[in-house]
This record gives sequence, structure tokens and C-alpha cells, in this order.
Amino acid sequence: MGMSNKMRQFTWSGYMFLVPYLLLFSSFLILPLIYGLALSFCQWEILSPAPPRFVGWANYQEALNSEYFWKAFWATFRFVLMAVPIIVSSALLISCGLNQVTARNRQSFYRAAYFLPTLISISVAGILWRWFYNNEFGLFNAFLADWGLKVPWLTEVSVAMKSIVLMTLWWTVGGSVIIFLAALKQIPDQYYEAASIDGAGTFHRFLYITLPLLRPVLLFVVVMSIIGSFQVFGQTFMMTRGGPELSTRVLVQYIYETAFTNYRMGYAAAMSWLLFLAIAVFSIIQFRLMRER
Amino acid sequence: MRLLRLYRVFFSAAVLFSLFLLIVVVGCDRPSDHVTIRFWNGFTGPDGRTMLGLVRQFNQDNPDVRVLMQRMEWPSYYNKLFVAGLGQRAPEVCVIHTDVLERFIQAGFVYPVDNFLKGEHGIDVNDFDENVWKAVEKESKHYALPLDVHPLGLYYNKTLFCEAGIVDASGNAKPPINQQVFIDAALKITRDLDGDGTIDQWGFVYTWFRTNVYAMMAQWGGPIFNNEGNTCLLNSPENVQALQFCVDLIHKYQVAPPPENYDAWIGFRQGKIGMAFEGIYMLADLEKQTDLDYAGSPIPKLGKVKATWASSHNLCIRSDLDEDKQVASWRFIKYLTDHSVDWAKGGQIPVRKSLRNSEAFHSLEIQNEFANQIPYVHYMPRVPYIFEFYSEFDLAIEKALRGSATPKAALDVATENINKVIERHKRLFSESRTHGDEQ
Amino acid sequence: MRRHLASAKSTLGFGAGWKWSKIGIEILVALGSLLMLAPIMLIFITAFKPDAEIIHFKSILPEQWTLGNFREILGSPEEIPIFRWVANSLFISSMVTILVLTVTSMAAYALARLSLPGKKWIFMLIVATLMIPGQILLVPIYLILEWIHWIDTPLALIVPAGASAFGVFLLHQFFLSIPRDLEDAAAIDGCSKFGIFWHVVIPLSRPALATLGIFTFVGSWNDFLGPLVFLDSVDKYTLPVGIALFQTSYYAEYALTLAASVICTLPVLIVFLLFQKHIIKGIALTGLKE
Repeated sequence: MGMSNKMRQFTWSGYMFLVPYLLLFSSFLILPLIYGLALSFCQWEILSPAPPRFVGWANYQEALNSEYFWKAFWATFRFVLMAVPIIVSSALLISCGLNQVTARNRQSFYRAAYFLPTLISISVAGILWRWFYNNEFGLFNAFLADWGLKVPWLTEVSVAMKSIVLMTLWWTVGGSVIIFLAALKQIPDQYYEAASIDGAGTFHRFLYITLPLLRPVLLFVVVMSIIGSFQVFGQTFMMTRGGPELSTRVLVQYIYETAFTNYRMGYAAAMSWLLFLAIAVFSIIQFRLMRER
Repeated sequence: MRLLRLYRVFFSAAVLFSLFLLIVVVGCDRPSDHVTIRFWNGFTGPDGRTMLGLVRQFNQDNPDVRVLMQRMEWPSYYNKLFVAGLGQRAPEVCVIHTDVLERFIQAGFVYPVDNFLKGEHGIDVNDFDENVWKAVEKESKHYALPLDVHPLGLYYNKTLFCEAGIVDASGNAKPPINQQVFIDAALKITRDLDGDGTIDQWGFVYTWFRTNVYAMMAQWGGPIFNNEGNTCLLNSPENVQALQFCVDLIHKYQVAPPPENYDAWIGFRQGKIGMAFEGIYMLADLEKQTDLDYAGSPIPKLGKVKATWASSHNLCIRSDLDEDKQVASWRFIKYLTDHSVDWAKGGQIPVRKSLRNSEAFHSLEIQNEFANQIPYVHYMPRVPYIFEFYSEFDLAIEKALRGSATPKAALDVATENINKVIERHKRLFSESRTHGDEQ
Repeated sequence: MRRHLASAKSTLGFGAGWKWSKIGIEILVALGSLLMLAPIMLIFITAFKPDAEIIHFKSILPEQWTLGNFREILGSPEEIPIFRWVANSLFISSMVTILVLTVTSMAAYALARLSLPGKKWIFMLIVATLMIPGQILLVPIYLILEWIHWIDTPLALIVPAGASAFGVFLLHQFFLSIPRDLEDAAAIDGCSKFGIFWHVVIPLSRPALATLGIFTFVGSWNDFLGPLVFLDSVDKYTLPVGIALFQTSYYAEYALTLAASVICTLPVLIVFLLFQKHIIKGIALTGLKE
């Protein structure tokens, strides 16, 4: 009954905690992933009866040389650059504001209000905002008409993506608000009391107490937002279908169309892995920048 | 603590339920005295309800066959159908549009119907419109039975026409039949009603660019592909001219607003648009607008010849069925085509000439008007890479209509890309053929 | 309880004299929440308008309140088995939530607290998979599910969802932030690993668990692509896919879609409000805060 036995016992039951999850994980994440990776090096176009055929880097080369790939990538990237800062900072502001509301039931009400839009399914939210944004009979332009304005929300290349970001803000900010609020509540009051006794002002307290203590959660929210935004699909698919002139055709939509409409499985797989690479690089950079010291 | 106990209860219930479900699903093989036919289509909305009625009626009249209808929205439908075909889960009967049929034929998913036509529940082939019937033919076999044809026609707002004085001798709104009259009418209707400098009422609007422009190209007579089908000729001069005319309606004559895709249809329902080219399938939607006085007619001859776009819903049988399922499927298909006037009420046009001559069909005014175009309808090119063709085509015409590229430039780019797709497909299929030879 | 009131006041460091700023902030927050709610209220209001009125937008409130849309949806159960869809959605989402909470909490605890060789790599692998665009896994997963005959059964939607990397990530971060003292105390008292997990860590993590539970439930509820691809039969559909039946590729039947959306949103609303109470209770009862 030496140290070694105890160690073994220790790890064995520890792994038991992991096993159920790892089973699901390997069957429904790793296995399909490997399959997808293998596929990316093959040419498999289901329209033809030919079985998958190894072509090496050909799919990746085609993607990197394709004007459409880069256009779709840039559309996604534009979305990420706009959406992540706006949504994360809005969520932070909102949750701080929410935390200030003392009346518990009022706070619950407001929190529910901010979170409610995330409960709406994408099919519903998409149709709703498509109606809002419609040039001729949409709600927004109906109101703006009183001021003689008519905004081409989804039909002008320069405006469309911004409209999608706005809709995404409404649709997803609640999720981050909930997370931030839960984290804010965990910050012990003593810290603030101590700081205010020392004479620190609001902004200082925010910068030097709230933000540092929120760091792990902030990192989590930022990274999740980046990852989620890179995978934007539902909003553009439902509202613009990639238009106008492919300006909102994000990479995931292009991959989806390549795989499920044009049945070019290998090529789609290669593009997905390129997207994954981009997300990984971006997230790792973020992770490094924000990591706890 | 209560929450944890709740979790425990839930978890055990879940496990039990899953086991139960597993047993039910995997182990059960229900003996049946009827043949079950699964019928898939994309008829969501009002036409879906019409079709469901027909299915129910068939099930009642034929107790030894049970048809289960499943539907999903068209865009996902084809993807799903194809993947189902791969996993051998394809339905026994399905609906396929004419332009997409080629893919399914090439993949071997559909079964020729020629044998059934002569058999016990036969149908006279001559009863079908020639061009519609020819559209489902490949190498002298017919791979589907057309159920209907839905052409693009002209919907016009009678009120606006009368207001603008575009009437015939007896004061009824008179739809245009050629380019001159069309542009005149559009110009008369396009007005700034409240004097604020923006036009509130338009003579014409583009709803679905693809069908509108394709109809125009058909009218100008330009070829899309060469005769062998291995080179794309989308940028031929006639097509450029046709597209230029479409662009002119917006930018030169200014009788149509800058394009917004299908939601622009709503403008017509709101009574702000004089004319729109749309399919007969929009009729069900229009009928809801009870405060609108509208009518339909064939689209005017804006180009060199009379032509319009159309597509058809075709009924297809899966290719690897055993005999009793085949017979049952065919009986169902025959039932549907025999009742295609009932189907027409949902906003479609039957392709059986005998049925179109019936009293019942004649009472459907707008369907009748649109049906006059059947002799000169043009289907989309029948190519297996149709969706890639659409991506290029749609993008090119959108750029032209929005004014961000000239028609020639846009069509040049599309043609080049489509030719690349053709190349790829040629290589793909020649390789698979050598593969087959090796085996 | 009083402590909490004090903490809320001082989070941003306002003392007694800043009452007006607090009111100002609350007004802003309230306005924001109104903006968030307005579209949803619009769904509810517009669902009572006849289709023609929606197209011809005249005012926010219906000129003619009508139950017609609801009647059409609820009145034809064979064509539109909406209650079936609600039941399916409820069942599937609940099962997914329970599965995810159970499985990921254990995994996250193991990765956060237990010493296991290689756990760092396992964790990184799990987090890395978060970046995988879900769509590319669709076809491989479909083929796998097809192979084990799970297509067109609820299992196809429930089981793969258990592999939630998000859940492991979220709970891992939260578990890390719990002070070890309580766990060490329990260990000294002779508690088994699972005992520590069950009696100490889980109760402390109620907010995180509730949060993950909500996210999982809502995510499963709103999942569109999954049910669309993995389910064939209309009566097995979940709500989002069912609602999509009201659109054709040419136009959307706004009236019916909105009415269906009302029916779709209500249950989730109710569930969330119920869960909300648990979150609050969880915070109030949390040992650390006393």
C-alpha cells in the first residue's frame, strides 16, 4: 500500500469521471473530424459515381486560389471584426448596469428582457428582422419615412453586413450578459468596500477590481464570441442568402453550399479546415493576449 | 438538494425512455396489410395543403396503399433528397423540378416510367404537352411524370391600369402585348404620388431576377449552351441585349425600382406596382389580398419571339424498389395526375390537355391565361451542375441589374466560370468512366 | 440578504450621494430592455393581424384583431401537428440538457481538479474542437447515425449533443474559480472523490450549472440544421423545422409563421422564468456568500 498504489487508485477513478464524456466526444466529434480531414485530401463529388480519390493538396490549392473563397472569408472576417467588440463591450456595459439595480425582482425582469431574444429560434428571428429591414414595407423604413429617410438595410453592399451585425447584437447579447452578470455577482463586496475606503473612484474600481477579476470570464466570452462569429451562418442565410452580390456570403454558407448543394465533399472539407485554421490562429492570439498572468 | 433529486429522477427516466425507444425503433417490424409509400416534396405553404388533401383522398380510396407525405422547404429539400438517396433512405415517390432532374438521373436515383405508361394503369402519352414531356426525357427514356407546369406570367393591377387610362374599348384594363405598349404602360403608371421627389408607384418590379431575366433571354433567342452542351454561351450578343433591356427598365426608362429580390412581390400586393412577372404559384398568395383588383395574362413579347420561363413539378419513382412498391407508387402517381385539376386550384397548371379542356379548369381564370403560354415555355438548361450554374447566373444578373457591372462584363465572367465547371465535370466523368473500365 | 443589497450598491462604488446616477443607470437599462423586448412583443401583436394587414403595414396594433392565424395552425393537426412538435422539442431539449449537465460536469471536474496525466492535452483538445464549424461534421455524423439506425429517432438529436465542448469549457473555468478549501476540508473528512464532487462542488456551482443548463436547453430548442437533416417524419419534427414549413422558397407566410412563433416561444419563456428562480436561490444559498 505504498504511494504508487494510491496514485493508481487516484487516477483510475479520476478517469471514470471523464469516460462518459470522452465516449461521446470521440464518437461524435473526433471520429467525424478525422473523416472530414481525410476527405479534404480527396476528391469526392457525389454527382459522379466515382469513389473518393486521393488528390493531396489540390483542394486546398483550389481554395486558396479561388476568388469566391477569399470573398467569403473576407465577409466572415468583416463580421467578426464588427460583431465581437460591439457585442462583448455591450454585454459588459449592460451587465454592469444590471448589477447596479438593487431591486431584485426588477433586476430579474431586466435580465430576462435582455436574454429573451436568444430564446427566439433563428427561423423566427430571421423572418422577423427581414421584415424589419425590408425597403418597401419594413417596420424600420415605415418609421423612418416620417423623416423622409429610406435606408437600404439589406440591399446595399455597404450597409448589409452592418444590418446583420445589429440583428446579431439583439439576438445574442443576452447570452454574454448572463455570463458576465453571474461572474460579477461572484466578486466579493469587501474588495469594493476596501477600495472605496482607500478613495478609489468608480472608474478606478472598475478598471482595477472588476476587470481583473472578470478576466477568466472575459477571456471565455471573447474567445467564444470570436469562435461563434467565425461560424456565422444562420443570420446571413435567413436574411440575405449571401447577397447583395455575395457581400454577406460568409464562409460557412459557402462551405455549406459547396457540400450540400454542389456535392463537392472534398473541397468543402478542405475549406472547413482552412476556416478552422483561421479560427484557431485568431483564438490562440486572443488567448495569449488575455491569459492570466 | 431538491434540484439534484430532480436531476436524478430525470436522468433515470431519460435512460429508461431511451432504452424503450431503442427497442421500439430497432426491434419493431410491424406487419402490415398495406404497402407504405413515402412521398416527399417541397410543398410547404398553401400548395402543401392542397397536396395533403389529395393524398388523404387517395388513401381513403385505396385502403391497400398508404401514402405518407413528408415535406420540407425546397432549398433544403434537394440536399436532403440527395443525401437520403446516398444512404438508401430515399422515399418511394418524390417530386423533382425539371431543372434539377438531370442530377438525379445521372446519379441513378430515379426510375424510368415508360413501362408503367403502357401497363394496367396506363396513361396516354399524347395527352401531355409535348415540350413538357420532352423535358423529362433522356436517351429516349422518360424519368418522371410531369404533374404540372408553372410558367412565368404577367400579373397586373387593374386599378392602376384604369387610373392610368390603359384600357380597352369597354373600359377594362388592357395588359400589354409588346414592348412598346409595355414601356408606355409602365411609364404612365410610374408616378410620384405625394410630390416628395421619390417615386411611390412603379410600373414594373423585378421579383425573382432569375426567372425574369431568363424569360427575356429566351425572348431574345440567345443560346445558353452550344448544341453539344459542352460550352457555355451565356455571353452571346442576344443574351447581352436581353439583359441590357432588363437593366434599361431600371436605369434608362426608370419604370422599375432598384432590385430587391422576392420581397418586392409584396409591393405588388400592397397595390403600389402596376405589373410584375411571376409564376402561377404566386396566385395563392395573391388571393389573400382581398383588397387588390388584379388579373393575369401571358407576358408580353418584349424581345424578338414569344417565350417565357417555366418549370414543372415531376413525380419520380425511386430506382431500386421491389415490384409491389413500384405498382403502388405508380398507382399513386396516376391518381395525382388524373386529379391535376384539383391540384391546379392551389395555383398550378395541369399538363394533361384533356384535363385543361374541362369545365372545372376553365373556371380558373388566371391559370387559363397563363396556360396559353405553354406552347412556348422554356425550361432552364438541363445540366447536372445546375446549382453551380445558378450561382454564376444569379450573380451576373444581379450585378447588371444593380448597375455594378455592365451586362457584357457580368455575363463574360459568368460564362468563363461556368466553362470551368463544365471542364471539371468532364474530367470527373471521364475519370469515373476509366474507373469503371478498370473494374 | 442585507449584504447583497450593500454589494449591489458598491460594485461600481457608488456611495449614498450618488442616488441620481443610479436612477439614471436604471433608466438606461430599462430603455435597453424595452428595445430588446419590442421585437418580441411585435411578434405577439402581429400574430393577431390578418395576413393582408401585415403586408399593408398601417399601424403597430392590428386594426382587426383576429385569431384566424392561430385557428389555422391549431385547427389542422394532421397537416400541422404543432403540439406534437412542441412535445418533441420539449422532450429532446430536456434530455439534451440533462445529458450535457451530467456528462460535462463530471468531465470538467476531472479536468479542473483531479490530477490526471495528460489532462492538459485532453482539455486543450476539447477546447480546440470548439473552433470546428459544426456544418462540416454534419455529413460524417449523418453517415454514422445512419449506420446505427438512429436517423429519424430522437436519439440522433440527443446523444451527439452530449459531446458539448462548450459545456466542459464553461464549467472548467467556473470550477477553477472555486476556492479549494472546501474541497480539501471534505477530503480530510474522508469524502470520496465523487462525494466531494456531489456534495461540495455541485452545490457551489449552481449558477454555472443553471447557466449552462439554460444555454444547452435553448441551443437544443433552436437547433434547426440538426433536426432538418436527421429527422424525416413530419410528426417527429421539432418546432423550428416545423415552422419552416410555412415558408416556400418564394415567399414567407408571415401571418402563420408569426403565430407559430408565438407558440414556439411561450414554452421556452416559461421554462426560463422557472429556471431564473433557481439561479437566484442558488446564489442566495451559496455557502461562500455567508
